[in-house]
Amino acid sequence: MADSPDNTPPVPHLERTARLVLLAMLLLLSGAIAYLMFARGAFERTQQVVLIADDAEGLSVGMTVTFSGFPIGRIGRIALSPEGNARIIIDVPHTDAHWLRTSSVFTMESGFVGGPRIRAFTGVLTDPPLPDGAERKVLRGDAAAEIPRMIASVRELVNNLGALTSQDAPLNASLRNLQTMAEKLNGPRGAIGVLLGNEADARRLSLMLERSNALLARLDGLVLKADGLATRTDGMMARADSQVLGPDGMLARADAQVLGPQGLVTETRATVVQLNGLLAETRNSLKKVDAVLIEAQAIGANTRDATTDLGSLRSEVEASLRKVEHLINEINRKWPFARDAQIKLP
Amino acid sequence: MNRRDHIADQLLQLAPVHWSQTPVRWLMGWWQVALFGAEMLVLALAGSTYRRKQRSVIYRQLYAATAPLLPGFVVMSALLSLVIIRIVLVTAQSYGLSQYALDVLVRTLVIELLPLLVALFVALRFAMPSGAEVASMRERGDLIELWRAGGDPARDELLPRVLAGVFAVVLLVLLSAAMALLMTYVMIYGFTSWGFAAYTRAVGQVFNPAATLILCMKTFLFSLIVAILPIAPNPQYGGATLRQRDEIGQLGRLFTLILLIEVLSLIGNYY
Repeated sequence: MADSPDNTPPVPHLERTARLVLLAMLLLLSGAIAYLMFARGAFERTQQVVLIADDAEGLSVGMTVTFSGFPIGRIGRIALSPEGNARIIIDVPHTDAHWLRTSSVFTMESGFVGGPRIRAFTGVLTDPPLPDGAERKVLRGDAAAEIPRMIASVRELVNNLGALTSQDAPLNASLRNLQTMAEKLNGPRGAIGVLLGNEADARRLSLMLERSNALLARLDGLVLKADGLATRTDGMMARADSQVLGPDGMLARADAQVLGPQGLVTETRATVVQLNGLLAETRNSLKKVDAVLIEAQAIGANTRDATTDLGSLRSEVEASLRKVEHLINEINRKWPFARDAQIKLP
Repeated sequence: MNRRDHIADQLLQLAPVHWSQTPVRWLMGWWQVALFGAEMLVLALAGSTYRRKQRSVIYRQLYAATAPLLPGFVVMSALLSLVIIRIVLVTAQSYGLSQYALDVLVRTLVIELLPLLVALFVALRFAMPSGAEVASMRERGDLIELWRAGGDPARDELLPRVLAGVFAVVLLVLLSAAMALLMTYVMIYGFTSWGFAAYTRAVGQVFNPAATLILCMKTFLFSLIVAILPIAPNPQYGGATLRQRDEIGQLGRLFTLILLIEVLSLIGNYY
C-alpha cells in the first residue's frame, strides 16, 4: 500500500497525537481571535463622546484618548460634519467613563514626531458625569502649526516696529516735537515761550514784565519823595508856627508893640487893621497847609492822585510860604523896630 | 547516441523559434499549476476526503509536517524574535521614541517577518522534501500503480501533503506570533502583569481590521503556495511531471511567489 511507505517508521499513537496538534492549532487560533477582539475592545461596554475639531489630520480609528497619561478610550469613528468640522467619536468604556465630567476639557496636541494625541482633563471630579453621546469642542495645540503662526506674528511685530521707527512715523514726529519743546524750555524764553509758542508774544510779555518792574521802582521813588516832601512841609510849618506864635515870636512882639503902654498912633491903626487881615490870610494859608499835610499823608495810599496834585500843591505851598515870607518881610519892613528894636519916644 | 540527442535537444531549446513560444509555454505551465491547485482545493473542501479511511493518512502527514519541525522552529523563531525585539527596543530608547517601539515590533515582527520565516521554514523542512518524495513516487510509477489498484493518488497521496503543509504554516505562524508577543511584553514590562492593559491596547491598535484581514490572507496564501507548489507539475516544461533534478528551480519559484505575496501585502498595508 502506498499510504504506508516502507522507509518511514510507524508513529505510536499517531491519531491521538495528530488530534492534539489539531486541538492546539484550534486553541491557538481561537485564542488569537479572542485576544485580538479583546485588544480591539470588542467585549467592552462603552459610551460615546463626540469631539468636534476643525482638523482631524493625523487621527486614525483606534487611537487612544488619555487621561493623566492613562488610556481611557479610543477613537471609534471619524466623520465630517455638515458644518465642515471633524466629528471624532470616542468610545469610552463604562469602567473609565467616571473620569469624564461635564466640566472636562479635551485637547488635541501634535508633536514634531508621531501623530496627534487626544487628552482629557477633568478639573472637578465631583461634577456630574458626562452623559452618553455628549458633544465637546476639542482644543487644538499643534507645535508644528504654531511655528508659521508665530512667524506671522513676529513678522507683523517687526513691520509695526518698522512703521513706528520710520522717518515719517507719528512716534518719530512726536519725539522730534518733544525735542523742540525741550530746546525751547532750555532757551531764553523758557516755559513762557513754550506756552505762548509765538516768539513775538513771548518777547512782548517779557517786555511788559520789565516795564512793570520799572514802573514799580519809579512808584517806589515817588512815594519816598512824597514822604520827604511831607516831612519837609511839616518842618516848615513848625518853624512858621514857632516864628509867628512862639513867646518870642512875631505875634508876641507885635502884640507888645501894639498894645504896649507906649500905644500906637492913628496911622498905625490902619496898619493894625491891615495886620489883622494879613493874620486872617495867614490862618487860611495854615489851614491850607494842614489840608496839604493830610493830603500828603494820603499820598502813600493814593500815589497816582498825589502825583497829579503834587505839582499844584507844591506851587501852592510855595506860594503860601512866599506869601508868609513876604508877610514877614513886610512886617519887618513896616515895623520900625525891626531894624531898631528900641522905639524912640519923642 | 543518447548524449547527442540531449545536446540536440538543448540546442533546439535555444533556437529563436522556441523563444517565441516560450511565454506561451510558460503561461501554459503556470495554468497547469493553477489547475492542480484548484483540484487540491476542491478535494480539500469535499466531504469524502475526510472519511474515516482517509483520516489516518491525513494525521500521519499532519504529524510529519509539524512534530519534527516544532523544536527547531521554536528555538529559531525565539532567537530571531529576541534579537529583533532587543534591537528595536534599544534603538527606540536611544532616540527617545520608546512609545513607538511596540508598534514597530508588532508591525515588523508579528505581521511581516514571522509569517515569511514560517513559510520558508516549512517549505524547506517539509514541503520540498515532500515534493521530492512525490516526484520519486511519480518516477517509480507508484502513483500509476495506485491508480490501477483502484485508489486515488490525488486524494490518498497528494491531498494529505497539501493539508499538512497548510496546517503547518498556519500553526507555526500562530505559534511564533504568540511567542513574539509574549517575549515583547516580557522585554518591555518584565515578568509583571501591570502593563497588560496598555500592552493589549497598543497591540489592538496595530491589528485594525484591514491589517488583520491582510495578515490572514497572506498566511493562507503562503500556506497554499508552500503546500501545493512543490508537488505541483513543473510549469517550465509545459506542465510535465516534476523531475528530481529541478528541485532548485522549484525552490526559486516558491521564493518568488512568496515574495510577490509579501510585496502585495505590504502594498495593502502601507500604500
